[in-house]
Amino acid sequence: MWENLMLGFSTALTVENLLWCFVGVLVGTVIGLMPGLGSTTGVAILIPLTLGMEPVTALIMLAGIYYGAQYGGTITSVLISTPGEAASVVTTLDGYQMARNGRAGAALAIAAIGSFIAAIISLALLMALAPPFAQFALNFGPVENLAIMILGLITVVSFAGGSMRKGLMMAAAGLLISTVGVASGFSDARFTFGNVNLLGGIPFVEVMIGLFALGEVLHQIRVGAAAPIKARFKDMVISRKELTKSGPSIIRGSFIGFLLGCLPGAGSTLASFMSYGIEKRLSKNKENFGKGAIEGVASPESANNAAANANFVPTLALGIPGGGTTAVLLGAFTIYGLQPGPLLFEQQPTLVWGLLVSFFIGNVMLLVLNLPLAPVFAQMLRIPYAYLYPIIVLTSLIGAYSVSNNMFSVWLVVIFGIIGFFMKELDLPIAPLVLGLVLGPLFEKSLVQTSALGQGNFGILFQSPIAVSILIFALLLAVGPTIIGGIRRSQRNKSKGLTHV
Amino acid sequence: MFNRKLQLTGLLATGALALSACGSASQAGEAADGSFEPTGDVTMTVPFGAGGGSDLSGRAIASGLEEITGVNINTVNREGGSGAVGYSQFLAEQGNGNHLLATETAMLALPITQDVEFTYESFTPIMKLGDDYTVVTVAPDSPFESCSDVVEAAKDGRVIAAVSGATSLDEIVFTLIEQETGVEFDRVPFESGSEVVTGLLGGQVDVISVNPGEVLGQLEAGSLKPLCAVAEERYEYEALADIPTAAEQGIDVAFAQFRGLIAPGGISEEAKQYWIDAAKEFEKSEAYTTYIEENLMQANASYGDDFVTYLEGNNADLTAVLGE
Repeated sequence: MWENLMLGFSTALTVENLLWCFVGVLVGTVIGLMPGLGSTTGVAILIPLTLGMEPVTALIMLAGIYYGAQYGGTITSVLISTPGEAASVVTTLDGYQMARNGRAGAALAIAAIGSFIAAIISLALLMALAPPFAQFALNFGPVENLAIMILGLITVVSFAGGSMRKGLMMAAAGLLISTVGVASGFSDARFTFGNVNLLGGIPFVEVMIGLFALGEVLHQIRVGAAAPIKARFKDMVISRKELTKSGPSIIRGSFIGFLLGCLPGAGSTLASFMSYGIEKRLSKNKENFGKGAIEGVASPESANNAAANANFVPTLALGIPGGGTTAVLLGAFTIYGLQPGPLLFEQQPTLVWGLLVSFFIGNVMLLVLNLPLAPVFAQMLRIPYAYLYPIIVLTSLIGAYSVSNNMFSVWLVVIFGIIGFFMKELDLPIAPLVLGLVLGPLFEKSLVQTSALGQGNFGILFQSPIAVSILIFALLLAVGPTIIGGIRRSQRNKSKGLTHV
Repeated sequence: MFNRKLQLTGLLATGALALSACGSASQAGEAADGSFEPTGDVTMTVPFGAGGGSDLSGRAIASGLEEITGVNINTVNREGGSGAVGYSQFLAEQGNGNHLLATETAMLALPITQDVEFTYESFTPIMKLGDDYTVVTVAPDSPFESCSDVVEAAKDGRVIAAVSGATSLDEIVFTLIEQETGVEFDRVPFESGSEVVTGLLGGQVDVISVNPGEVLGQLEAGSLKPLCAVAEERYEYEALADIPTAAEQGIDVAFAQFRGLIAPGGISEEAKQYWIDAAKEFEKSEAYTTYIEENLMQANASYGDDFVTYLEGNNADLTAVLGE
């Protein structure tokens, strides 16, 4: 173990590798800042530039882009309510509210700190447990994934804001939108009206940009909140109280993120939503969530960063990508003549440990980069809205176009921007819709697979101990608070009754 | 050599252009004497997302052709609709010799299964790079030792096969085996090769048929067991040479996914010849060999009309499997 760590440090700490690690995290941050241009595209575009490098150096840089983008995506989520990736959607809920309250700097700082701690925790777990965890994650087949998707959709309950009915309605709308296109496992097109652009479904990136960025701009114009946020520098810096309050949330988020990130497919979006839901359940000040609770930023940001690192567990140890970006990275491995899989840890110790240690170094760089810059970025909000809004609209539309080089994406953004405006007018929550849209295809896929495995009988859901445990947890999350509340009330009534007697 | 020749014709073409000074030369470098040379940048459409197999082949071809022709080739990903968006937009480039597309089996499968406006006959096939076959693979502790064992077991029991999509290569392979032997496999649909491998490693399914590139690490580590290659001939790669073909085990089935290069329909004979000549040079280059070897493909290149003949046969096979 120690031997491996020393080997890793001696590899990662060369001048060349340090330099490229820095380039990677910096480019990653910038890529994360741009709506639509996710880390998957970023890494894919830059792979050809790395062909002349040593494989370990190239991978260090490409991985730096990946986790650097997680930091960058947070910045736009907090400042202008435009998530760079699906995994930072939840961050907009409280992060943007914090920014509106003049606490953007604190939100960005806690996101950076949370991400950093999550990275360290998940890296320690990754180094110690990657092979056994990868093996365990294989037990998650279609049946267990179906259970996870059910759990994921149940977390919607926590997003309901004021009204659970509205939350469920929006999640259902998201699921409904996700049924557009060719169904999973079949070749029939649904709801496409003969339009080839819709065959692949309605992509959530465009929906996200429309609902959040464009919708928010339209809404602000209507409300007429013309004055830019005036924030004193003192408010920009995170306070000690906020730090201690966020501590437990960061730890919980890190573990949830790591566990979900190990599963091929489920990934960081679900991790961020779920950790937010759990945080809200556990919090004593539930009513603060959605109004700028710092735990609502700390926890999902830790979770999505931990999940990003944990994604490397199946990628390195099994050769199975955990998510979109790791799939592209897997392609890079083969370009350099490396074969990820069970033998990689034995055959290429220098590369594996050098890469893992570089994550640690890269995250230190990102923390150093992001902490002092948080107040600086937050100053962006001082720009009068008359200038800021056109910039947001322009980057949104360009971002949409760059997703697939297709004007259709731009129209999607405009349409969902208008829908987003009316959702805000009617006070309908947006996050459950996005969750429904993201989970919809995964949910449907595992549903079809489970049905195929059980030959039409969903009873096999209850033959898997893992699935049953997850479903019980989901049930607790859904009805637990009501029951506990009920018991408390009845106990209170009882004790009241007793004193009366 | 070829490079210089091309430059020479290029020089002549531009010369001819300048001399005739025809202002209406809207098509790419369609000079007065009919010879062809791309003008400005050439676009290479990849109808799938960055990082996938289609993207890898598109970028390999683009950089190879760039080196040979000296023309700048921009690779653009136009994903969506399992490739339908990219092909449909390419249809609108009718007659444009400045545009190319990295093609694969979706060009044939989409018109059979979806309501799209193109068929393979709408385009000008230039080059088939090579074939990507699959290897039927099981878990190491599986009782199956050969593909005939799998077929035997399916005769009177349940064999669960994972496939990576409703029109994917492995679905076609399993259907062909079914049609050949008269058995039936239970399918569980997944969405990519790596998901299928996960399903097999986790013991949720019994058998898969994947491109060897996707399981090489597992095969070398012995954590997966190959049964037969669904190909006409055995692989020449050292790691795969011991895998018998399906035909050797009494199942006369072989089916590959092709990867290739097409130009829009209605381009001039000269433009078609220009790209075929450049592609033939590409086949001789080291970049081509590296691409084929890295992806563990079989290098069966063919050009122009031979490629069309291949597509006709392949299309008939696919229609038999996918068409209801």
